[in-house]
Amino acid sequence: MTFEPKIVGFLCNWCSYTGADLAGTSRIHYAANVRIIRVMCSARIDPTFVLKALHDGADGVLICGCHPGDCHYSEGNYKMMRRYPLLKALLSDYGIEKDRVRLEWVSASEGQRFADIVNDMTERVRALGPSSIKTALATDMAER
Amino acid sequence: MEDLKIGVYVCNCGTNIAKVVDCDATIESASRLPGVAIARPYKYMCSNPGQEMIVADIREHGLNRVVVAACSPRMHEPTFRKALQQAGVNPYFLEMANIREQCSWVHEDGAVATEKAKALVKAAVLRVARHEPLERRSVDMCPDLLVIGGGIAGMTAALDLADAGSKIYLVERADHLGGNLARVDLTAPYLDSARDMLTDRMTRVVEHPNISLLLNSEVERLEGFVGNFQATIATKAGNAADQVATVDVGSVVVCTGYKEFDASRITHYGYGKLPNVITSFEFEKMLREGGVETKEGKAPQYVAIIHCVGSRNLEFHAYCSRVCCMTALKYAHEVKSAVPGAYVSDIYIDMHAFGKGHEDFYRRSSEVKTLFLMYAKDDYPVIRKADAKDDCEMLIEVNESLSGETIEIPADMVILMVGMEARDDWAEVAHLVNISGDKDGWFIESHPKLDPVATTTDGIYIAGACQAPKDIPDSVAQARAAAARILGRIAKGKLEIDAVFAEVDEDKCSGCRMCNELCPYTAIEFDAEKKRSHIISALCKACGACVAACPSGAIAARHFTDAQIFAEIEGVLA
Repeated sequence: MTFEPKIVGFLCNWCSYTGADLAGTSRIHYAANVRIIRVMCSARIDPTFVLKALHDGADGVLICGCHPGDCHYSEGNYKMMRRYPLLKALLSDYGIEKDRVRLEWVSASEGQRFADIVNDMTERVRALGPSSIKTALATDMAER
Repeated sequence: MEDLKIGVYVCNCGTNIAKVVDCDATIESASRLPGVAIARPYKYMCSNPGQEMIVADIREHGLNRVVVAACSPRMHEPTFRKALQQAGVNPYFLEMANIREQCSWVHEDGAVATEKAKALVKAAVLRVARHEPLERRSVDMCPDLLVIGGGIAGMTAALDLADAGSKIYLVERADHLGGNLARVDLTAPYLDSARDMLTDRMTRVVEHPNISLLLNSEVERLEGFVGNFQATIATKAGNAADQVATVDVGSVVVCTGYKEFDASRITHYGYGKLPNVITSFEFEKMLREGGVETKEGKAPQYVAIIHCVGSRNLEFHAYCSRVCCMTALKYAHEVKSAVPGAYVSDIYIDMHAFGKGHEDFYRRSSEVKTLFLMYAKDDYPVIRKADAKDDCEMLIEVNESLSGETIEIPADMVILMVGMEARDDWAEVAHLVNISGDKDGWFIESHPKLDPVATTTDGIYIAGACQAPKDIPDSVAQARAAAARILGRIAKGKLEIDAVFAEVDEDKCSGCRMCNELCPYTAIEFDAEKKRSHIISALCKACGACVAACPSGAIAARHFTDAQIFAEIEGVLA
């Protein structure tokens, strides 16, 4: 049986969540592996959300916000953009492959783009296989 | 805390959800989740009986939390919040699971979609258990308004709103009002003059004390939110630098219209090469200038009209442009009155005469001796220059569908009924006001049937052909509907906005001030005496940037708390 990865998607309310809704109203079919959680802005996405998702068994985490310059709150996505490399560095210390966590900009009119990103990410995470972070974190916790 | 009693409602949405997602299995799975007291399906949860079901269950079973698994919360969250309120439960004790736009409409495999729906419902159930009661805030609604586009839709909306006492900023890119309608001679089906229709409106707009007309102008930026937008408008001032002004407006009506299809894209018609092959707009110009004649200055004896140029064709635009059939019939009348005795051939795919008075007009046009020839989609008529021996300029070869024969007809003038298409810069306009466009670039309404005037961004309305090809009555109706919607909100004076904002727990705040600089709205102030940061709730727009950044975890985002999002994460991964 093919491995079906579980991916948690954190989407900002104004652009990306609306873009995902547009994929729906346009009946654009895409992989069912991403489960979406709505936040008001990508700047709300605390790195602990990503860690929590990986800890709880997600094989990947997708973060989507408005394109740079388009943020509903002027500059929230820039905050996410700056946090992201730090988060990626931390994840790589835990041995998390880089394709498992992804930041993308999706506007309210980019339903097709959202579907393409989900399909592409699902394929990449599927190729990586199940995430080993769960056990890594558990070991780490036990050592403390 | 009282015991949780969660009601879960799974909407079939007719067959929109139920044909892909197994709603009964979803209900069954939800009924086993902690705190769930009742789980029920219904055909249309958003309908009155659907809402009444929730209200009745709350009263009868003492439910204190509700999960509705249905469409996007961007569509019906306000509807269901109202139902909770009506039953005496805090409206924020609702959570929606988006199992339509983000599930049944995007997945084909029923089993997979059902598993996803179950997970989304579980996330909603776990989340709603951690919801807190919140009070909505009330803000002032700025009564001034921005209308973008000075065509028939924009002028109509502006006049209705201005007549009711609002101050309107009507922004038009061109140096004149009227839009595409200003390029039209008579209108179908009653052959009224477009000029008469427009002159009255234009004069009223220019003279109206409540309308500030900004020609040669474009909206450069729009910031803020419903009731409180700030629009930056740039007006071209000849050789001098643009004049830039920022105005406060409560709502925005986008009426940016359409542009005509470029006929040279269809090579079969020789547009741009054969001098007497012209577009419908070029023919309108000829009519407005008062003379129907060929480039050689002769009265055309044979006039052919070709329908669906760029429309109803997968190579260009799959949609019908809606106005061209009636306009073509109108041309038959106008040609006959300008050149008595001229022969008119009308080469069409299907005759779309759906509007009021249109079928009558079609019948009357058939009586003025117009030759109707039907061609099949994608089997373009071919136009070529006639030989010297022929008594006409061009010959058109048509594979006539009804007779099944190939017919060659003479023409001195060919009018191409060019369709409507979205303006080249539709995406920039959509971006400017934060709305969406469909695959063809038409702006997307909030609901295709029940809310064709609003958009997914509160306070932004659309009217006229920027939403889809439309004739004058439909454009006017939509513009007046947008005006009525806006006036309804202005009449309330105050605007209820989400109770969502961030709060600092002073006991946890270390006074590091990291959040102070992060806030784009300068809503965070520092109390030097207490050495604690504090959020001014009226200024907070609830983005949550400070919440994620606080190293002490001292800031909570109401309705988007860490605990609520953690619960959702656990739910979706179940």
